[in-house]
Amino acid sequence: MHDKGPGTKYIEAISRALRDEMSADPDVFLMGQDIGHYGGAFKATRGFIEDFGRERVVNTPVAESGMIGMAVGAALLGRRPVVEMQFADFISCGFNQVVNIAAKMSWRTGRNLPLVIRCPTGGGVGVGAFHSQCLEAWFLHVPGLKVVAPAWPSDAYGLLRAAIRDPDPVLYFEHKYLYRRIEEPLPVDRSADDGILPLGLARVEREGHHVTVIAYGWMVHKALEAASMVATEGVSTEVIDLRSLAPLDENAIVASARKTGKVLIVHEATLTGGFGGELAARIQEKAFEYLDGPIRRLAYPDTPVPYHKDLEAACLPSVDGIAQAIRELERW
Amino acid sequence: MEGWLSGKKKVSKKSLNSRSEAGQESVARATAEELRELYFFMRLAREWDWRFERLVRLGAVSKWYSSVGNEATTVAAATAIEAGDALATLHRDSGAILRYYLDPARLFPDVFSPLEGRKLACSDPRELLYRLACQMLGKRDGFTSGLERSYHYSLLREEDGILHLGMISHLGAMIPVAAGVALALKQRGSDRVVINFIGDGGTSTGDFHEGLNMAAVLRVPLVLIIENNGYAFSTPASEQYAAASLADRGAAYGIPGVRVDGNDPLEVLDRVSTAVARARKGGGPTLVEAMLGRMRGHSEGDDSLQLLPEEERKRYEEEDPLLRFEEELLTKKVVTRAYIDDITGRCSQLLLEIVDRALASKDPDPADATRGLNAR
Repeated sequence: MHDKGPGTKYIEAISRALRDEMSADPDVFLMGQDIGHYGGAFKATRGFIEDFGRERVVNTPVAESGMIGMAVGAALLGRRPVVEMQFADFISCGFNQVVNIAAKMSWRTGRNLPLVIRCPTGGGVGVGAFHSQCLEAWFLHVPGLKVVAPAWPSDAYGLLRAAIRDPDPVLYFEHKYLYRRIEEPLPVDRSADDGILPLGLARVEREGHHVTVIAYGWMVHKALEAASMVATEGVSTEVIDLRSLAPLDENAIVASARKTGKVLIVHEATLTGGFGGELAARIQEKAFEYLDGPIRRLAYPDTPVPYHKDLEAACLPSVDGIAQAIRELERW
Repeated sequence: MEGWLSGKKKVSKKSLNSRSEAGQESVARATAEELRELYFFMRLAREWDWRFERLVRLGAVSKWYSSVGNEATTVAAATAIEAGDALATLHRDSGAILRYYLDPARLFPDVFSPLEGRKLACSDPRELLYRLACQMLGKRDGFTSGLERSYHYSLLREEDGILHLGMISHLGAMIPVAAGVALALKQRGSDRVVINFIGDGGTSTGDFHEGLNMAAVLRVPLVLIIENNGYAFSTPASEQYAAASLADRGAAYGIPGVRVDGNDPLEVLDRVSTAVARARKGGGPTLVEAMLGRMRGHSEGDDSLQLLPEEERKRYEEEDPLLRFEEELLTKKVVTRAYIDDITGRCSQLLLEIVDRALASKDPDPADATRGLNAR
């Protein structure tokens, strides 16, 4: 993967964002399983309980519904809870609290509901069907939720701080594969608001004029590698990192689609009912007359995540696969 | 079909003399003024439900879930808390809502005087009642301006001492949320507490377990009151849980679990007050199981009540908590028949005026159908 230079790892950026927001605002507190002295399954909160105490680092029983429900209650009274799912997969156990309680609370009460649910997401690390899923599409279908999925440490940092400050429930899909595989320098003065990013803005990671690739999370890195690969063959690829799926930066997507006329959407989540379908629909509604080919989607096949690394690799969208799809679109 | 009380502790019609020890102490402690207030709110809640039951029959409201028969528990429980404490209600808790919102001395100053030392919500009671009626009718002046139905609203006005959390249809789901409100109150370092109601059906949901277990582990100031009327929609308690008593579950969570006669407002008041005092002092949650009769079906207009044996239904009518309390206060000479007639007339007249005003009020603007959501 392309690094943006030495500095802070993705997981360290998450940890620093949590620490900086907890230092900046006494209403911010954490809930999660094994986040106390153990420091969390991925060590995002190592040392936190020692520094912030049990009142602000609430180590909970194994109860996703209970945790999310309690976080909602506390948020209604003006607290800013950040709930850690040990793995995104376990959010299914708290599904009702997310989609019916948290998502609809501001609509029902007229009050803000500042709640962040951190969801360690995705595969590639050989942990099977119940520790690897990409579930963002479940929540994108629910009005009232915000959904972000950073690809870089600086975005992981800036979007998490923004999510904590946001008045609405935010599901924060952090990719496990990226945790310790990618580094980037972060702003030095973290006590200020440096590095905090607005939710809802995509970024053009690489400019190009033949084909647009839209991706988020880990797939941004694969798309960039594929773009480099086809560049040597004279194909110019524009890569857009969505960063935030809801709110969605529709302008950025439509602008790029109008520019290149050819769009490939890549996501690690399974194909059917995935976010790619929604993106494709919006693009054809807003840029139909600019399109010079079908909108393509590359996604996980409609199957659970298999355990063996060769089986998993056979399912994950690959750099070669993305490059091939770009070539095909370019030739259209 | 067997009645739900068979083989279980029977809640019988009681006189003052046969009341439980807790209830007797409560009787001894309550002043005449306090007893009259309890009665007033039970009567007001009954009139409230009657008013809306009638509107269902007239087609002015689409559905109604009646609180008739729950008044002793709901009014007494809400009497155990005061302004600044939080209340989390379901659809049979009009008594608790009215008691929590309204200052009787401001509603009828010629009848009630302010109770010394008791902190009540400081909103204009008539305006609040009007908005509550509009909420029931889906009107623009309702708390959700027609977005949410009947008791599915929340009223969070801390400046007025009101922290009222309303249900969603997944009833058990509110328990963790109420526990979270309690957590935030505890984190603030305040001594405020939360009362949360659940039905016997709701105790079967996973959120009952997760919420109560977490509340117990984190020792948050929560009083969870089960309104056990023996039926969830049509399903009797014998098909809902196998335990002899839901109160026994308290022990499983390491918290007190108490069973009370839910038709006796003084016993409820006594036990819930004990639980509230414990929570205020940092002692954590209490589970209270209030045993009630089933005086209405799941919703007005369904035939779920017809499943109950005639004899059982008759017994619940005989054990009507409002009439029982009325009789008791008359016997004790706390009130006269003329007083009861006066209060009943006032409640009826007040709600007639308020609900008529609400019925005549504006409907929401269809242009507002998609407003109100921050996140899109």
